[in-house]
Amino acid sequence: MYKKIAVMVMILGFALPGVSQAAKVKIGFINTITGAEAPIGENLTNGVTLALEDLKKKGIDVDLIKEDDTGKPEKALSAFEKLATRDNVAGVVGPYTSACANAVASQADRYKLAQLIPAAAKEEITRKGHKYVFRLNAPADVYSSVLMDAILTVDKPKTIAYVYANTDFGISTVKTAKEYAKKLGIREVADEKYQKGAPDFRSTLTKIKALNPDLVFMVSYEVDAITLMRQSREIGLTPKAFLGAGAGFTTSQFLAQKKISNLVFSSTQWTDDVNWPGAKNFYNRYKSKFGKVPSYHAACAYEAMLIMAETAAKNGGDREKTRAGLKSGQWNGIMGEVKFADYAGYTNQNNHQMLVQQIQNGQYETVYPAKFATKKPIFPFKW
Amino acid sequence: MILFLQSLISGVLIGGVYALIGIGLTIIFGVMRVINFAHGEIMMVGMYMTYFLFTLFGIDPFVSVLITIPLMFLFGAILQKLFINRILGALPQNQILLTIGLGLIMSNSIMLAFTSDYKILTTSYSSSSYRLAGLSISKPLAISFLITVVITAVLYWFLMKTDTGQAIRATAQDREAAQLMGINVKWMSILAFGIGSSMAGTAGALIAPTYYIFPQVGSAFTLKAFVITVLGGMGSVVGATLGGVIIGVVESMGAAYISSEWKDVVVFAIFLLVLLIKPSGLMGTSRT
Repeated sequence: MYKKIAVMVMILGFALPGVSQAAKVKIGFINTITGAEAPIGENLTNGVTLALEDLKKKGIDVDLIKEDDTGKPEKALSAFEKLATRDNVAGVVGPYTSACANAVASQADRYKLAQLIPAAAKEEITRKGHKYVFRLNAPADVYSSVLMDAILTVDKPKTIAYVYANTDFGISTVKTAKEYAKKLGIREVADEKYQKGAPDFRSTLTKIKALNPDLVFMVSYEVDAITLMRQSREIGLTPKAFLGAGAGFTTSQFLAQKKISNLVFSSTQWTDDVNWPGAKNFYNRYKSKFGKVPSYHAACAYEAMLIMAETAAKNGGDREKTRAGLKSGQWNGIMGEVKFADYAGYTNQNNHQMLVQQIQNGQYETVYPAKFATKKPIFPFKW
Repeated sequence: MILFLQSLISGVLIGGVYALIGIGLTIIFGVMRVINFAHGEIMMVGMYMTYFLFTLFGIDPFVSVLITIPLMFLFGAILQKLFINRILGALPQNQILLTIGLGLIMSNSIMLAFTSDYKILTTSYSSSSYRLAGLSISKPLAISFLITVVITAVLYWFLMKTDTGQAIRATAQDREAAQLMGINVKWMSILAFGIGSSMAGTAGALIAPTYYIFPQVGSAFTLKAFVITVLGGMGSVVGATLGGVIIGVVESMGAAYISSEWKDVVVFAIFLLVLLIKPSGLMGTSRT
């Protein structure tokens, strides 16, 4: 009898904490924590840290399992398999890079585990009809189209030159840019791929200067953007507008180079001055907690974690119900309105409104679309 | 025409900096027959030195060369005294492994100390240029080219006209004979590695205002330094100068007339061609 009571007490003892933490939910987070993309990965990690704080305030306790993919697709894949089979998570946020996210997306349906991609741009990730793959950010084609749309509000450009890094992101972004430019009747005058990290672009830029294009469209990582703009100034390349597709043109380092970054347009998933609920507050909190300015990646990861954890908690951690919850749900937070829809060949893709910002007087100002804009675009470009 | 002249000028100017990297490597090889695989990393150390002299003390990169040269000389001399001297008689693969290891330690220590974040050195003239008949000549590159010319000239004079310079050359020609003539070859080796390191460090300092700085920046330049010295002839200072300028111009012309994506292919095609016709390099003498 005593034994039986003891067993009962023990069972209750184990069970009760579970009852009091009914909202505890297990989520996986695959990110690039080490390796070449680690500096951007840090933004995602910090965004998720803030999301966990906010979830806790809402009474959702997340048991977060972090995995490092080091930027390699095969590592991302094995991390996902581990999360699906051993850790039994309710859903996965990540991975960060296009290559890793794409590799994981091919397996999400097999494991029947929902994957929410916060910031990877490669189009085909949500183009293959995967039921369990969701994407929050806008895909690569929007990076270029939104920039040209913004320019069309002030001018009718005739010619365009492309200068871009010889990488996955560079090539796929320019490919879609060319298609869109063709549709708009903008003629291509130069197509210059370059090796990432090269110290000298002067002769390439001289060549482009001689062709005198209306627009110069660049896709560059990190500091190549700075090298390119410095040498453009040296050479005296002066198109009507410099367009930078995300990445290197949206960093605080680029902004700090006032002489060469002023009036450059760039496309981004998020800005701090956009009027989406909580955006400014997120920016301030991030800055005071981490001592740095958040990139759009941070905002994407924050919102993705909120959505995933809330949905999983609401559905008691059940994988199938979580997937259905993501599919039918609707949110409105720091990334604006979010809904995972099927359109234009995409599946479970949030039709996210990308923004165009222009550097004016040492500040990133949102200039397009008009309803989110804080300033009018300054056109044409001058040094 | 403008495109041709502009590419030529840019190529020659950037080639000057390449030459400086090549000269450092070629001197080290000439005197010790050691291929320094840590050359790019030594250059990277020079870049960081320049960066901190500028951001902490406000010393202009082109002025701070005066501090970088002796400091990097000391750094190289210490490396030689502590490590390289011990393996001078060892198998080439052991020497290569040692210098690669030293390079790895340098880049990883720097990463530990200053993180892998890119550092950008911005001076008032980082993106300015002189205009001349429709051409633009990059201000920072023009200044660094002048400094390179001065340094190369002084070095050439030192090697040709001074007793110590002759002793270094004697050591390069025949180590044992030099020793028999009463030359302190260990001391000459320290001197040579010091000079080589200060050349690499100076090249780092000169390129810092127009490029960017991160711990792994060296490896790309190590490769470039190799191509330059082999092209010019291992051990030849004049050859390395020539090699540097040629590579600079070929890169620039390749980017202008073919495409920036293909410029490295052009560089290596010319490199192979020279080696096919003259295996010892442009100014090299074949050794038996």
